[in-house]
Amino acid sequence: MKTPWVSSGNRARSALAGLVAILMTLATPLAGCGLPDDDERAARELDVNSRYTVESVQVSGERNVTISDPLRLELDKVVGAKFDHSALERLADRLRNELRVSDVKVNVTRGTEPDHVIVNFEVKSREQKFDLNVAKFLYDSKEGWSGDGNATTHLKGNLITFGLVSDGDSLVERFAGIRAKFERKKVGTDRLGFRFEFDSYHDMWNQATLEQAQPGDIYRSRQVFTPEATLVIVEPLEWSFGVSFARLRVPYSSSDTEGGGAAAAKTESSNAVVNTLRYHQRWGSAHDPQEQEVTAVYSAEAATDLLGTDRVFTRHLADARYRFRHDRNSVEVRFMAGLLNGAAPIYERFVLGDSTTLRGWNRFDLDPLGGSHVIYGSVDYRYRMFQIFYDTGAIWDRVQDREQKQSVGVGFRKDLTEKESFQLAVAFPMRAGHVDPIMYAGMSF
Amino acid sequence: MRAIKSWWLLVAFLSGFTLAMMAEELVLNWRNDHLEFSAPRVHFLRGQPLELLHNAAPVPFNFQVTIWSGTHNHVFEQLHDRFVVSYDLWEERFKVVKTQSPRRVAEHLTADKAEAWCWEQMSLASDTTGLGGSEPFWTAFEIRAEDGKGGPLFGRSITDSGISLTSLIELFSRPPGAQQSHWGPYEAGPYTLDELKKSPHRGL
Repeated sequence: MKTPWVSSGNRARSALAGLVAILMTLATPLAGCGLPDDDERAARELDVNSRYTVESVQVSGERNVTISDPLRLELDKVVGAKFDHSALERLADRLRNELRVSDVKVNVTRGTEPDHVIVNFEVKSREQKFDLNVAKFLYDSKEGWSGDGNATTHLKGNLITFGLVSDGDSLVERFAGIRAKFERKKVGTDRLGFRFEFDSYHDMWNQATLEQAQPGDIYRSRQVFTPEATLVIVEPLEWSFGVSFARLRVPYSSSDTEGGGAAAAKTESSNAVVNTLRYHQRWGSAHDPQEQEVTAVYSAEAATDLLGTDRVFTRHLADARYRFRHDRNSVEVRFMAGLLNGAAPIYERFVLGDSTTLRGWNRFDLDPLGGSHVIYGSVDYRYRMFQIFYDTGAIWDRVQDREQKQSVGVGFRKDLTEKESFQLAVAFPMRAGHVDPIMYAGMSF
Repeated sequence: MRAIKSWWLLVAFLSGFTLAMMAEELVLNWRNDHLEFSAPRVHFLRGQPLELLHNAAPVPFNFQVTIWSGTHNHVFEQLHDRFVVSYDLWEERFKVVKTQSPRRVAEHLTADKAEAWCWEQMSLASDTTGLGGSEPFWTAFEIRAEDGKGGPLFGRSITDSGISLTSLIELFSRPPGAQQSHWGPYEAGPYTLDELKKSPHRGL
């Protein structure tokens, strides 16, 4: 049995934990989940062990445990305090949620000193070997249904995923097909992981796109193979790097060559080096009265002749979100900017007007081919399940085409888990002339 | 001679075994003008609740005793109480807090003494005023430990809601949870007060 983390009265606390404590104190004056005095007194009377002092706290289990700084601080606070079983169960619940394990059991034994006790949180790994999840399930009143379902098997630290996708929301094209993924999150060290992903999709196109596209832009299908490694530079900053090999089936008319009129297709390649920097930090949890979360992603792709690609391009995208919750009120602010140079395939082009960006606008009204430049911002406010949002952004190829668009919306959103939610919303594009709202309903988007 | 002795020994053993099997879960006595309940065969400080207690978790036990009189449809008296038991890791003894009014506390108890103390408190709460000496009555009891995942130990304070008499009555109106330890309901009768007063130890 490993004991990856131990906290005791004389344990030196990390500088980062101290910094977080200061930030939490400044930014979250109401943070903390202590019982009111009356309840504390009552609990003390009911529990004979409440007169004892906690000597040390351990977290143990069958796997390495990485605990966030805010939660580690909460665990540190228990050391030296009077024993409170209810508070320990709440911490076990937080550990269970944060570590995504099947169970965390609180074990209490006598301490080495009289009238002291030792607390051990025993982490039990998820025994589930097979997992089914719906990454996306969405109805858009303009584009219809989109769905993305995955089956994942866990085999000795490896994740093998097989998925079925039909998505008419996130790209210019509607793509439907399969996804297969192999992932190992730890290769020799906790800091390095790798994954291989293979996608095979058939593509369908909106009439507006077909009318504006050049011959050779439209493809019937695409297969993408992406080997990628992820390195944790400094918690919580990660760098992923790899190569994306794409094969596109591009139809052309053979009338130009011989026989005349027969449909044919040729294969083109789009191979690019992919780099992604990802930062995700969270202060507090769903159990605390106050919670903050920052997620920032910067990705850069470069398809060069060195990789034997038919499409040469570079693509940069920065996407950042900040979420602040106080009790039942929460505000989320998002900013996104992207730049594309060269002859990228359409699935690499930027889109606004889907279920997550510039909601309410039809993306084919904004740019039927997708854009090479994008800038976008949004503010979401939620009270309990009620949600209102404001989106603004622009997408363009030429500077003279750049035009700021705005939309507002209302709806309901219910978080089912940390990553899954159900949402029902109506979004209104802000434009002169007429109102043409779009309704969204679905999960996990 | 030897054959006869062996035969009697076998009969005595079988009789004792049969009597033991027929022994009642709830024993009623009449003492100091009170019905006195005891359940020497029912040990609730065992199994999963005891495991939790040895792990320093306080465990609430909800008691319900019902007395019917005249006909089996008429509830003469219904007693509810909640006892929060905790186990002292250093002294290796139990502490019990009776949470309903009047609130009482007993400490430094062994497991058997702790169980007996809970029954003693239920007995003290019993009031047979209005019950005729020759009037037949029936009784039943049920105990439920709040040791399941939905119980108050996990995430909520044991001082949270659920202690009021109303909530105790409501609690017993629902079936126990799948992971919840429970004993009973054990039911027996009819008996009379006159009968109990004549015979000081009478099981139901």
